[in-house]
Amino acid sequence: MSKEVFNQISPSEFFYRNRDLAGFSNPTRSLYTAVREFVENGLDACDQQGILPDIHLYIKAVDPEKPDPKPYVLTVKDNGPGMDSNQIPLAFGTVLYGSKFGLKQARGMFGLGATMAILYGQITTNKPVTVSSSVDGKTLHKYEMMLDIQKNKPVIMKHTKEETNKKGLNVSITLDGDYSKAGSKIRDYVYQTSLITPYATITFDDPKGEKFQYKRIVDTMPPAPTIIRPHPHGVDVETIRRMIADTHYQVPVLDNAMIDKVKKELGLSKKNLNFEGIMARAEKKWSSLSRPVRVIVSVMSFLNMDFEKIMKIRLEDIDLVHKRLTYYDFGDSKLVTVDMPKSSNYYKQLANTVQGDSLVTFLTKRFQRIGQATAIKFAEFANLKAEKRIGSFTNEELVQLSDSLQKYEDFLTPDPSCLAPLGEEPLRKGMSQFFKPDFLEVYQRSASAYSGFPFVVEMGIAYGGNIPPGKMTVYRFANRIPLLYDEGSDVVLKVVNETDWNRYKVKNESPVVIVSHICSTRIPYKTVGKENVADREEIEKEIRLALQYLSRKLAAYMSKRGLAEIEKKRANLYLKYLPLIAQFSTELAGKNKEPDYKKVIKDLNNVQVEEQ
Amino acid sequence: MSKSKSNKAAKVATEKRDLLLDLLKLQGAQVYNDLDKGKFPQFSVPSRSVSNIVYDKKLRQYILGNAASLRSSRNMSQLRSFTQLMWLAFFANRLVHEKKSSTLRDVYYSSQAFEVEFEDQPESDNIIVDLEAVLARPREDFHIFPEERSSIFGDLTIEYTVPGYEGKRTNLSNHPDGYLIGPSLSSAELVDTSAELVIAIEKGGLFTRFIEEKVDKKFKAIIVDTAGQAPRATRYLLKRLHEQMKLPVVILTDGDVYGEHIAMVIKSGSANAAHLRELTVPDAKWMGVWASDIDKFKLPTIPMTESDIKRIYDLQKDPRYQEGIWKTELEIFLKIKRKAELEAFSKYGLTNITDKYLPQKLELSKSL
Repeated sequence: MSKEVFNQISPSEFFYRNRDLAGFSNPTRSLYTAVREFVENGLDACDQQGILPDIHLYIKAVDPEKPDPKPYVLTVKDNGPGMDSNQIPLAFGTVLYGSKFGLKQARGMFGLGATMAILYGQITTNKPVTVSSSVDGKTLHKYEMMLDIQKNKPVIMKHTKEETNKKGLNVSITLDGDYSKAGSKIRDYVYQTSLITPYATITFDDPKGEKFQYKRIVDTMPPAPTIIRPHPHGVDVETIRRMIADTHYQVPVLDNAMIDKVKKELGLSKKNLNFEGIMARAEKKWSSLSRPVRVIVSVMSFLNMDFEKIMKIRLEDIDLVHKRLTYYDFGDSKLVTVDMPKSSNYYKQLANTVQGDSLVTFLTKRFQRIGQATAIKFAEFANLKAEKRIGSFTNEELVQLSDSLQKYEDFLTPDPSCLAPLGEEPLRKGMSQFFKPDFLEVYQRSASAYSGFPFVVEMGIAYGGNIPPGKMTVYRFANRIPLLYDEGSDVVLKVVNETDWNRYKVKNESPVVIVSHICSTRIPYKTVGKENVADREEIEKEIRLALQYLSRKLAAYMSKRGLAEIEKKRANLYLKYLPLIAQFSTELAGKNKEPDYKKVIKDLNNVQVEEQ
Repeated sequence: MSKSKSNKAAKVATEKRDLLLDLLKLQGAQVYNDLDKGKFPQFSVPSRSVSNIVYDKKLRQYILGNAASLRSSRNMSQLRSFTQLMWLAFFANRLVHEKKSSTLRDVYYSSQAFEVEFEDQPESDNIIVDLEAVLARPREDFHIFPEERSSIFGDLTIEYTVPGYEGKRTNLSNHPDGYLIGPSLSSAELVDTSAELVIAIEKGGLFTRFIEEKVDKKFKAIIVDTAGQAPRATRYLLKRLHEQMKLPVVILTDGDVYGEHIAMVIKSGSANAAHLRELTVPDAKWMGVWASDIDKFKLPTIPMTESDIKRIYDLQKDPRYQEGIWKTELEIFLKIKRKAELEAFSKYGLTNITDKYLPQKLELSKSL
């Protein structure tokens, strides 16, 4: 019987093996996904810094004569803040490295996609990625790198510096792609991205030599979203555990600087007292000591150590449940555990430090929109002591806490300041420019939340103008990303299809465009491909309300337009028939001159009023 | 027949024509004046809806009640039909002035020369009936005729009044196929006849047989082929033969419910023409084939269809079928549920109908 071998694999190795998950299943899809990842990174970088984006996308075939699929060079250049030279290798050469792990809205989530694209390019063409960046607009750092997939590490092949006069980032990869198949999707993507990012100029040079450029329509950017504390409904047990660990007051590192600080506060900078002397001095000056110093003094008291001795140990664990303190002794090269008598005043001091905040403080400090009163009410609801320190919670109590956080209904709705909807005016201007419609209405719902994640729905509806008649077009966006695939099972489509459009005087062939944008710190995508939004009840409701509002406006317009058309038709009818009646009656009556029927036509306006 | 009578008839015809032209002029002037005053012109059109059609027992025909609707050029939904009606009056005026005739289909196409549109011929036919109702004159008076033609044969001298033939006389026994009852014949003056009877017969085939068998001579009759349901020109001619030439009219039809109704329409008019008063011969007599004749003459029969039977039930609700043979024959049809055609007599030989049936029925009809 052979022995099973267990290997740990690196994240990049994992994604290399499972690249389908990230949208790199075939040359068509991969080219499209790579475009998306780089363009979205560029837009995100500009958004975060409040820079009006100017994104340039180039796709060029390495050998245009070859049939698809074939290698393409994909380059995306932005005018963003650039990236620090020393961050570049990690950011582009490591999977799961990025700045997007906080709780705020961004296009991408993990900075994963760009590296995946690079990885895909490398495994299909064995060509390095080129990254050029300038943070200051003076020096341009240019890297040529490949990924060491097994070690999840970048291999820098070339690093050069040159002068520049522009800030920003320029990423270029070579990858196998199929532009003949992916082209229309990529063009759609660029078009739709421009629609939802009217403050950006996006240029696309395609491999066939065509240039698609969408110029900036508005000069104002929506405010950048801020990182915020989580909403209680949005956290699970694991998150709470990590948050609790964060709340612990860190036991200070016992280094020279720390010892100097203790000495200074005790007024012992020049003297070197023994253990008893130190303790006596500490007791005398206690009220004036800073927190880290108090902790060190407490530790010293339990270990019965003076400065000399404590310099030779490293604190390993303060285990309050078992009232034990463990340290590593460099001198003896061994772990030592000592008991901490609970009766000691120092024990309480240490416990307070290590056990962290009380439940009430934890709630008010660590979560958004929880005040003192709410926290106390919640503690009652959860059947936990409001003043109990969070670090002393047993496992059972932690579960009770997290369960109760989910169940308690009186928390305020999540703070939407972490969201960055486009806003009604930019959306209106964008749609107006794109469709030149006869009728346009936009609407932004106020923030709502599903399972603790805030979200905002904004929508626009346009009718007529440059919109061709035919099937109603629905442009779906999530966090400013166009969703192009799998539209059949999307919640927006569901709501649109369930709408009785006849009620709103919209016919089958009416030239109608609907733009829907959902912003959230976490969009509930149905699939890994991030192409369709799941029908969460709360989101569906917001979409429905927004659509109803817009449809009513459209219906009002359609009625008015219908009336205007009837008026026009009426006027035309009279203009057509009255002269005929005049002509016939002239001959019948045996007259030579036609009657002056123009008076009747002049009267038409009055007639219309009468008949309405 | 005296010349003075003919002159008188011509005079009547001219008077009638002038009256119509006056009527058209009056309507036109009214519209003209309204327009000139800055008013939207309008017409009062007698309602031809079923609810406004009543059977007048005194007149012995269907007539329109008093209901009328206003067709106004002010109303957008009526503007088009108002214009159509005006055009038709205008067109009729030209026809009468220029002594030209037209057909229903011809009218439909003529409209296009004036940018007056009709969706289809039924729409223009309908406007023609509207004008008939407004003027209370049949369309034949303004020279609009249907395409279908029935025929006439017998010793009847007529004098044409149509352009180019004015004053020209013809005897209707001159042509062995008979004469088509077209515009020229409809408008001709009836001058002289030796006939003592008019036989209206439903079928063209029998009409020819009657001519071959010299029914006109044997029975001193003018024979009229109604070609199914008698066209209005034919009914109008029958009325004139009855009134002007004082000839009794008998009607010979197939032995089925439709035949019975063909006879009734000649006698007392149809709902479709209830707005007209000059198309009926209330004294006309239906002499068969009756339902009772089927058994009496042992005629070969055909079973009735569902629609035949339904038609019987419909007619039973009609006030004219509430008494006499009209009522009893319907009941017999319903009982035997079989029908027979005129041609059924051929079973007993080609001349059986003229030799046997006709004399018997004519004798009988005198007592009706």
